[in-house]
Amino acid sequence: MYMDQLNQAVKGGIAPFHEYLLQGSIVDSSKDVLVHRLRGLCDNADSNPEAFHDHEMIFSLKGSPQQQPMTVYLRHSLIQTDCWHLRYVGSTEFGDKTRQTLVRSCVDIGVSDSIVKFLNEIGFKLEYEFVAKGYFFHKGRMKVTVSKLFKMNIQGDVNNIDPLTLSCLVELSVVVPTGQEQVGEDMKNFAEQLKPLVQLEKVDHRRQQQAAT
Amino acid sequence: MGVVCVYAFPVPEGKSGQQVVDSLQKQVELLGAVKTGNFSVDCETYQANTQAGTLTTTPQRLIHVLHNSEQPASCFSVLDTGTTLIADVLFDVLIHKLTSGKAGKEAFYQQRKGSKMESKGPRYELSDFIIKIGSVSMASNFKGILVEVEYSPCSVPTECWNLMRELMQSFMGNVAETPPTLVKNKMDNFYLPGDTINQYLEHFTNFRKQTVMGQPIR
Repeated sequence: MYMDQLNQAVKGGIAPFHEYLLQGSIVDSSKDVLVHRLRGLCDNADSNPEAFHDHEMIFSLKGSPQQQPMTVYLRHSLIQTDCWHLRYVGSTEFGDKTRQTLVRSCVDIGVSDSIVKFLNEIGFKLEYEFVAKGYFFHKGRMKVTVSKLFKMNIQGDVNNIDPLTLSCLVELSVVVPTGQEQVGEDMKNFAEQLKPLVQLEKVDHRRQQQAAT
Repeated sequence: MGVVCVYAFPVPEGKSGQQVVDSLQKQVELLGAVKTGNFSVDCETYQANTQAGTLTTTPQRLIHVLHNSEQPASCFSVLDTGTTLIADVLFDVLIHKLTSGKAGKEAFYQQRKGSKMESKGPRYELSDFIIKIGSVSMASNFKGILVEVEYSPCSVPTECWNLMRELMQSFMGNVAETPPTLVKNKMDNFYLPGDTINQYLEHFTNFRKQTVMGQPIR
């Protein structure tokens, strides 16, 4: 019964959702100015920005060469330690110049704390992990995060950490059902308002990976 | 949520499953229970895809994926090691990804043929009790009857077992003499929705075994 409903949802484009994404970065010394600007631009301007402190683990299932490897992103809040969030991201559609943002399908799932054990037992292996600290803003359905990434010196130890760079990662994203291209336009307009502090762009991860290897 | 006990109710020889279900329903209604709709608990089992030569890389695990209409937004996954994961119902999408090959690639897990089991039937309320009389089917064949009784105001089995037993024995007789094993093992702990799912899974596994034993050994 549930599977039928689900298949319908998948066919109807309700699930999985699509994430529209823009990324950029800002040096630590200017971060406070950006946070101040975002507070003014986003909803709930009168309250303090919402802070987060997460431990992210990336797990992969790799089989034989005949199998497509599968990767999932697990986030564990270190503030609300009951919160575990699992995310699957589909392949990225970079699109052409007319498309304003990067688009990818995504599945967001709240899970119980047995998730790490579960993933390990069905064959997933931990690829890498990091700690992210930062602030979260929203304006309507747009979500903005300013996060500082830390590398972990010892596997699994979230207290023994060092900053990865001297900058912060800035992400602007919206998650919607299929076929709402208007979103990209809204995001581009919002990104314009953050210039010249931060330049939010669609980043081609594949090209970056190729450049790195 | 409260404490839940699930029992397999025997079908005596010479009677059909439907007859037993009808008489149980009649008795529950005589007690004053009010029908509040239907319920279902379903279970699908997946195993590692051995055709793709995964023997060396992925462990030989069984994944049981269950849903309970009492928790309609959740998806329960239980491994044969006993690890229970409770997730949003969207977890089904992930299971779907795990079990379907794409672009000529093999899937990691595959559905066990004819493994889908379901217990469904009417749901009754009798003040603080919820009673469910389920007919179990495997690939649309009738397998047996599962009766579920929940006492909703209490979360610790020791505190309410005697009360539950009294009610259950009034329409099930000796079937409800002792608590189900799973409940017996955590009489003084908090009872959780995952425990209900594990009780159902245990019964489903037993029904499945009975079927296998009934067949000639190949």
